[in-house]
Amino acid sequence: MILRGSSLFARLVAVLALVLAVGAGLLLAAAWASARLAADEAYDRLLVGAALQIAETIASDGREISVDPPFSAFETLGLSPRDRIFYKVVDPADGLLTGDADLAVPVDRARLAAGPVLLDAEHRGQAVRAVVAGRYVPDAAKAGFAAVVVAQTREARSGLARALTVKASLMVLAMSALALGAVAVAVRAALRPLRAIEGVLAARGPNELQPLGLAAPREIHLLVASIDHFMGRLSGHVAVMKRFIADAAHQIRTPLTALSAQLDLLSRETDEGRRRDQLARIRARTAELGHLTNQLLNHAMVIHRARSVAFDPVDVAGLARRTLIEAVQQQPGDRAVDVGYEGPEEAVTIPGDAIALREALSNLIHNAYRHGARRRLTVRVGRERGRVLLAVEDDGPGIPSGEWARVREPFRAAAGGGVGSGLGLSIAAEVAAAHGGEMRFETHSDRGFSVILSLPDGAEA
Amino acid sequence: MIGRLACAVAPLLALLLAPLAAGTAGAEEVTRFPASEHERTVLTIRAAADADAMAPLIRDYQQLYPDVTVIYHEYVTADLFGEVAAACAAGRAARDYPADVVISSSVDHLIKLANDGCARAHRSFETARQPDWAAWRDEVFGFTTEPAVIAYRPDLVPPEDLPHSRVALVDLLRRKPEAYAGRIGSYDITLSGIGYLFAAYDARAAATYGRLVEAFGRADLRVRCCTGDLIADLEAGRIAIGYNLLGSYVYRAMRRGARIGLVVPRDYTLVLSRAVLVPVTARAVGDAFAFVDYLLSARGQKVSREEAFFFDRTGPLPAGVEGPPSLATAGILRPITVGPVLLAVQDRAKRARFLAEWRQSIGAEAPRGGPRREEP
Repeated sequence: MILRGSSLFARLVAVLALVLAVGAGLLLAAAWASARLAADEAYDRLLVGAALQIAETIASDGREISVDPPFSAFETLGLSPRDRIFYKVVDPADGLLTGDADLAVPVDRARLAAGPVLLDAEHRGQAVRAVVAGRYVPDAAKAGFAAVVVAQTREARSGLARALTVKASLMVLAMSALALGAVAVAVRAALRPLRAIEGVLAARGPNELQPLGLAAPREIHLLVASIDHFMGRLSGHVAVMKRFIADAAHQIRTPLTALSAQLDLLSRETDEGRRRDQLARIRARTAELGHLTNQLLNHAMVIHRARSVAFDPVDVAGLARRTLIEAVQQQPGDRAVDVGYEGPEEAVTIPGDAIALREALSNLIHNAYRHGARRRLTVRVGRERGRVLLAVEDDGPGIPSGEWARVREPFRAAAGGGVGSGLGLSIAAEVAAAHGGEMRFETHSDRGFSVILSLPDGAEA
Repeated sequence: MIGRLACAVAPLLALLLAPLAAGTAGAEEVTRFPASEHERTVLTIRAAADADAMAPLIRDYQQLYPDVTVIYHEYVTADLFGEVAAACAAGRAARDYPADVVISSSVDHLIKLANDGCARAHRSFETARQPDWAAWRDEVFGFTTEPAVIAYRPDLVPPEDLPHSRVALVDLLRRKPEAYAGRIGSYDITLSGIGYLFAAYDARAAATYGRLVEAFGRADLRVRCCTGDLIADLEAGRIAIGYNLLGSYVYRAMRRGARIGLVVPRDYTLVLSRAVLVPVTARAVGDAFAFVDYLLSARGQKVSREEAFFFDRTGPLPAGVEGPPSLATAGILRPITVGPVLLAVQDRAKRARFLAEWRQSIGAEAPRGGPRREEP
């Protein structure tokens, strides 16, 4: 059961849309601010122009200061067609020469020499933009700056700022929409390989376990590689199982056929003596069949465990001693074989699967006991360069070195081996491989033949 | 109707009646136009416009809105401006001062009112049709076309003397100073709002203004307070030529049968657009704007052209008027634009200086103590 998370596409697009929206918001704010500045700049020129035109007409005859606001000044102001106009002209002593007495824009004469002063103000409850322009009157009763104050409501400015902002906004919004569309397309394209994987997997039959063979972008290469790796392992596993089942079927069918034939003979036999012999043979066959079945099941179990069980620390020395004792107890005591253990008394611990290891060892001991050992069987535990060696040694003829490779395979026991003898070595080899080690054979003229499991001790894992 | 009667009779009589006129100054004349159907609203119009001129327009408006009673208050411009400005300043406190529509020939007054925030804005199909120079802020709308004209007595001015331009007028006064000395009339611009407006625009429009005023001074210009007085002087033969008279009033006198001729100058023509606004203190706002829309509509303009003010912007001049084919003839139209430029006219320093110069050129004494009277 896979938990259904929210769609990757939706998440990516949502995040990018959020980023775009924030960006667009900032751009709009910037556009509004700059549009306001631009509008102010444009209309400030008209305002200053009008104030200067009025200031130009300020004149003095030595006694009186006069002013004659020209039509042109008002025409200039009229270029912002809807705005109200307020103005006043004051003499150097702040006496009103003409205009609106209640226009309360401060006149800072210290700054007038440098040129007209622009400022924002309020008049009769309306926001206005005002300019104060000065004209120096030298020959008045009190020499100084006469001042022209012209104020204008902000309608045209706001209108222009709004128009500019709307245009900029349309462009920003169009860009954002375009970007969002591109993002959606790009994200969809980026996620297409996943869809391809999904398609390939969905189209497969249960037995098609070959690698995907897809060209994948770097970002999901690991995913494809993992799937391919998994497929490879699954495919190997299935192959082993298939072969095992085929072999096992063959192995079980043969003794069953023989058993069936013997039972036929038995049913037709009348002689009591021969009936007894045949019964004995059938019992022996049945025992062999049971042994074979056990080994088959063990083999399947070992193969399964090797691929699925996590390793725990295992004391292989103790394990070897216990397995040896159990094995010896199970053997028929018809031969005098000298059984021995050589190795440290203290624990020798490696990471491993105790059950599989015991099975492997037990099989080796049984093999040695049954097919090799004449007088002597020794289990040896030792260390060698980061490895732990478990050796089962006997004084029998051993396996000819030409067959060493073949006998590791299941059901390929040494020539002359009877039914049920084919699996022990292959189980041991499987277990060694599952522990990252190997199984090898050695022949010494003086000591005899030994099967050695060489397992890593885990110290340098 | 006392003021207007006084204007219509004789200046002598006017002088005699002066104390009476002064006593009634500010007391406007009221005409009531009752609704023909059940009265739904009362629309109060306060106007500086001749009630006789406005009556056809109001009656036609009542054809469209028969349930509206119109009360028409006629003022002189300065009084109207004073009252409306005071009502606007008082704001809510002036609720008992009904004024739904304000009309004035002194457009500068209305511009000043709108500039001070005393007018309501109105947008409609009709207002959208107006040229830029005939409206401001969707608050002040010019609805008439009234040229400043030269009026004359045909029997006192031989055809070869008839001036068709200012230059021709100056030339005539130079060529025949004796014939026309004391026979030229115009407004006393210190008293007449329209006279001042026309003079200010004359001064602005052409360099001939200075020469013209000097020539008037040499010819001993007769100045009067109002168009009615000047028309009466013409009819009585006391003057032969009247300069810058309001064309609509002169033409009305012609239609009435007065022996007067009318010339629209060919050098340039000042055109006044009498304006209307709806004050912020208006109560019947919807009907007020309906009236404004009516004045601006094709129907209202037709009535205006045929029965009230006789001129329009694009059509031919009325029958019997000498001048260019139409006011819109290329280059000669100098409209007095309804816009903030008129604030310059309102400037008191400018006015004081302009009047002083005018008085000096005309040779008039300091302002006379007579009644201050302005054109309705």
